[in-house]
Amino acid sequence: MVEIANPGMLELVVDLVLMPIVAFVVGLALVLMARRVRAKIERRVGPPFLQPVYDIVKLYSKRTQISHGWMHDVAIMLLLGGFITAEIFLPVPGMSGLAEHGDLLTLIYIMMVPMLGMALGVGDCANPNGSIGISRALTAMLAYDVPYIIAVVGACMVYGTSNLVEIVQIQQAGGPATWGIVTMPLLAIAGLISMHGMLGKEPFEIYIAPAEIATGPMVEMSGKYMGALFVMQCFQLYTVGVLYTTLFLGGGEMWLTFLPKVFAVILVFVAITNLFGRLRTEDVIAWMWKWPTGIALLGLLLVMIDV
Amino acid sequence: MNDQVPVVGEERPETCRAPDAEERSLWRRVMDQFADHCRSRSLFVLHYCTGCGAVELPPTITSRFDMERVGVSPMVTPRQADLLLITGYLSVKTLKRVILSYEQMQSPKYVLGFGSCTINGGMYWNSYATVKRLDQYIPVDGFIAGCMPRPEAVQQVILDLMRRIDSGQANAWRDYYLDYDTYLGRQAALFGEEWHTPTDVVAEARHYGYFGPGTTGVHTARLKNYTEWALNQIPELLPERGRNEKART
Amino acid sequence: MSLLDLLLLLSLLTTLYLYAFGNHRNAGHLGMVVYAVATGLVIAMAGPLADGTGAVGSTFAPVMLGHVLSWSMDGLGWFFALLTTGAAFFASWYMSGEWNAEQPNKRIQHGTLALNVFCMLLLLSSGDLLSLFIGWEFVSWAAFLMMTQLGSHAARAAFRYMLYALAGAMAVFAAILIVKAQIGSFAFADLRAAVPALSDGLKWLLFGLFGLGFGVKMAIVPFHLWQAPAYSFTPGASSAFLNAVSARMGLFAILLVLGKLIGFATLSDLALPLIPMDAKTLLMWVAAITMVVPTFIALMQTDARMLLTWHGIGQGGYMLLGVLVATPLGTAAGLMHVLNYASYQMALVLAVFAVIHRTGTADLDELGGLIKRMPFTYLALLMGIIGLAGLPPMNGFVSKWMIYKSLLDTQQPLLLIAAFVGTLGTILSVYKLIHNIFLGQLRAEHQKVGEAPGSMLAPMLILAGIGFATGFFPGLALGVVDVAQAALGVELLPHGLGGVYLATGSLNMIWVVGIMIGAIGFGAFVFYVIGNRRYGVHQFDNYAGGHFLSADIRYHFSHEFYPGLARLIGPWYRGSVVNMENGLMIGLKTAGDLWHGAFRIAYTPFYLLVALAIGLWWAGLDGGF
Repeated sequence: MVEIANPGMLELVVDLVLMPIVAFVVGLALVLMARRVRAKIERRVGPPFLQPVYDIVKLYSKRTQISHGWMHDVAIMLLLGGFITAEIFLPVPGMSGLAEHGDLLTLIYIMMVPMLGMALGVGDCANPNGSIGISRALTAMLAYDVPYIIAVVGACMVYGTSNLVEIVQIQQAGGPATWGIVTMPLLAIAGLISMHGMLGKEPFEIYIAPAEIATGPMVEMSGKYMGALFVMQCFQLYTVGVLYTTLFLGGGEMWLTFLPKVFAVILVFVAITNLFGRLRTEDVIAWMWKWPTGIALLGLLLVMIDV
Repeated sequence: MNDQVPVVGEERPETCRAPDAEERSLWRRVMDQFADHCRSRSLFVLHYCTGCGAVELPPTITSRFDMERVGVSPMVTPRQADLLLITGYLSVKTLKRVILSYEQMQSPKYVLGFGSCTINGGMYWNSYATVKRLDQYIPVDGFIAGCMPRPEAVQQVILDLMRRIDSGQANAWRDYYLDYDTYLGRQAALFGEEWHTPTDVVAEARHYGYFGPGTTGVHTARLKNYTEWALNQIPELLPERGRNEKART
Repeated sequence: MSLLDLLLLLSLLTTLYLYAFGNHRNAGHLGMVVYAVATGLVIAMAGPLADGTGAVGSTFAPVMLGHVLSWSMDGLGWFFALLTTGAAFFASWYMSGEWNAEQPNKRIQHGTLALNVFCMLLLLSSGDLLSLFIGWEFVSWAAFLMMTQLGSHAARAAFRYMLYALAGAMAVFAAILIVKAQIGSFAFADLRAAVPALSDGLKWLLFGLFGLGFGVKMAIVPFHLWQAPAYSFTPGASSAFLNAVSARMGLFAILLVLGKLIGFATLSDLALPLIPMDAKTLLMWVAAITMVVPTFIALMQTDARMLLTWHGIGQGGYMLLGVLVATPLGTAAGLMHVLNYASYQMALVLAVFAVIHRTGTADLDELGGLIKRMPFTYLALLMGIIGLAGLPPMNGFVSKWMIYKSLLDTQQPLLLIAAFVGTLGTILSVYKLIHNIFLGQLRAEHQKVGEAPGSMLAPMLILAGIGFATGFFPGLALGVVDVAQAALGVELLPHGLGGVYLATGSLNMIWVVGIMIGAIGFGAFVFYVIGNRRYGVHQFDNYAGGHFLSADIRYHFSHEFYPGLARLIGPWYRGSVVNMENGLMIGLKTAGDLWHGAFRIAYTPFYLLVALAIGLWWAGLDGGF
């Protein structure tokens, strides 16, 4: 049995409070960046600096808040709770939170909890557009998670551990030559594509599809329910960015080197997303199971030969 | 607990009465002002694009005028929207859908009428099938004159609306709760006596403290006939089935 | 008289009593008491078994054809016996109230349940190969009786099962006879000692025959086709019991014979020609296919029961894969998954039967919105599906995590990816299950449906609660697993109350679940404190593009829930899998017809002639003329 050095009580409490807050604030900045970049590509000025805050405050301060049943409410709690849990198990510079008590595999499954919660809440809304959206979202998950899992498994094999703190330490100790993107470039590419799918950006935006199924899962969300989804978007961008940075870009010892990497990863997503239209559901699966999965399997083969 | 059978005008305890401005604590006033400011800077728009004014919206939203600069962005469903744009004439049939969509929007909600058609019927003023004055059926926060208005005019009226929201003056949405009986009466005069929507406005007004003497009246009394409407349309589907029935394995 | 004697005697008497007087309205309560006592007896046996070498013997030892049959229960059997009596307790509880009052054949239901428990205990306490075979046959026939109780659909499926089971039993019997011929004994210890000396060919033969025989019961691909219909159309608690326990008897036998007596290490020495694969890896890949293929078949089911039983087959693959990894972590994971699976699968099946009890159907296209009418059943099903999908905070996550981790630590990424893909398919499928039954539009004909009665709610909620508790504190279940693991001769997995700590990544569920509960509580705080009060609207106050919704419009999106996926992988189902199954069925039927035709009276003289000719030829050879 391996003994885990428990952090001091005070340090732990600080981590528990700070990690979600940092995630939220950075997530707000990421949302702002995504909207600004989109505006720039479309030759617009884009929203003002505090726009993400305005949107969330406005939604939470709606006078009427309609609910379709208790699962609709619980879904909102699960959504926030699941992502806050994920942030606490995701190590960032200076704060490792509880990352020692749950590893990468745990994190992947914790990140599915808010998704399941949202799916249940949307189902409770009894709106067919919402149900179609969830059906598509889960189908998309089946599509992008295959290359994603292969990339994650390959990374775990290269680092010889699934402990996120150790993965960062290994890359920090060895310098850029040991970063995942250098040691396993094919897996890094597959991971990038699959995480793009995970964010639901075009061309994999099948489950939002505003002109087709009226934003799918969000169709009956209003007021603070919608506000929670906006908060979730902040967490999601942050989580994906940090996870990719941790696995393939060496993590970071300090925020000054860490945050630029996170923003760069999200910038890649938001910069290329505007180039595409929307694929059909089955084309998303076919494409995801063909190209990223193929690349990832090739990368895994190289890793297996190497290890 | 939300029951499947809607009970119109069901008594709910009035625990959330909106206090008068003088009664409110400093904290509440500051928070309300902050919320109003955020509301004014973040308007999600639902376009009701059955009229010709809709063609003015793409330039308003996209790179030529870029309304996202002031926080206006298009939304897809009434649930998510704050601002309903009625972009021109409404036929009697489309007005029903407008009212349905309006009631499904969450308060505070704002309506802007585009062009002369929503003000006085415009060039359709003597048509048997179009609505002449939009503000008779739902409360309207502002009109844009012209046939049709240019994007600059649309921007101007949205900026004006934002100013009024910020200063807490854009409260037309409360009229719908407070004078629901009058609005319902005018709607029913147009659509017939059987007119009703799935949204229970009276219960919502009670729940959120917007219940006034004008909320109920002769017209809302008629809604009692439709409390069971979800079921009584198909009586053959309601035998004593379900409970205690043997498994059909 | 030992504890084992007492247990078997109690079980036998219960069987006889319930078969005779099962129609009494208190039969279910009697069953609860008896199974609770039986569970107590099993727990009382734990003491001497904990170190892995001890066994509780039986004084009953009849002599058959000169062989002494012996029964004694070791740690492995104890583990499965605990599962059996526990599952029977909850099944009996479910049948004790309203269910019992309304079933036409309650005597059969109670009687077959007791019979199954007795036969399983007999199998689990078998002390040599011959008593193992006797127990094996008993279990097969008892399950057959249970499945045929309603006739029609289930009986056809049960008959199909019997064909498979008989073939499997013949294989097992042949293997046992070969062992007897080779080493001259039925004793476990003798076989264990003699295995290293056997030739590779013989090992392959034993592996094949035992694998086939036990694999049929376990429903590993390709012997899986019988299980889903056979388990699905058995009523109520019987189906839940079959789902939770029955197929695990196959796993028990595989663990006992292939794992303990022959040894997985021996299997990994059996190399296949041409491809770099050994017998153990072959079996692991069979397990992997068992995880993936049935899961995706489950995804396409439209009957809630079929969906669950297909998943049951898939989950069996996880258990087999776990124990085949054969590291302390892998074995513990596989065994723990047996316990976890029993808890959530039983809750799920019971919840689905509660829905059938109230609405009269399990057709996923004909339900919807029942969360408004049956909230507690929904809760049980929800916790069950979280376990089945293997998400935190339920126990299914812990055992699946351990399986993934053991595969990662033993450098088998491809199997790990197969396990992940199976889990993804499970998530899709269980969402469809809960969405189509409980979420969405409530149909007009279900407006007056009521919540399931307490006697049915209590067992499923308690089972779901067990699932949550062993997810929060996996150490509870791992402590039980230790006994079986010690009996298998695998090194014990060091664990704490909260999970396992390994050098390559740890899992402490107390922290994970604790933080999750805290964070969800914070989410609730945000929800209730920030923003105005919620206001419940009814289902027709809903966005439909300006359309007015009403009860005569069926808009619940339930039929063909994953159209995109179905368009892509649908041809696989229609084309190959179903055709293969049909081909197999037609082949079996043709073979059966031929066989039947061969015995028809018209041919008798011909066969007599042939027999005479062969006899003469043989006699001639012998006589040497």
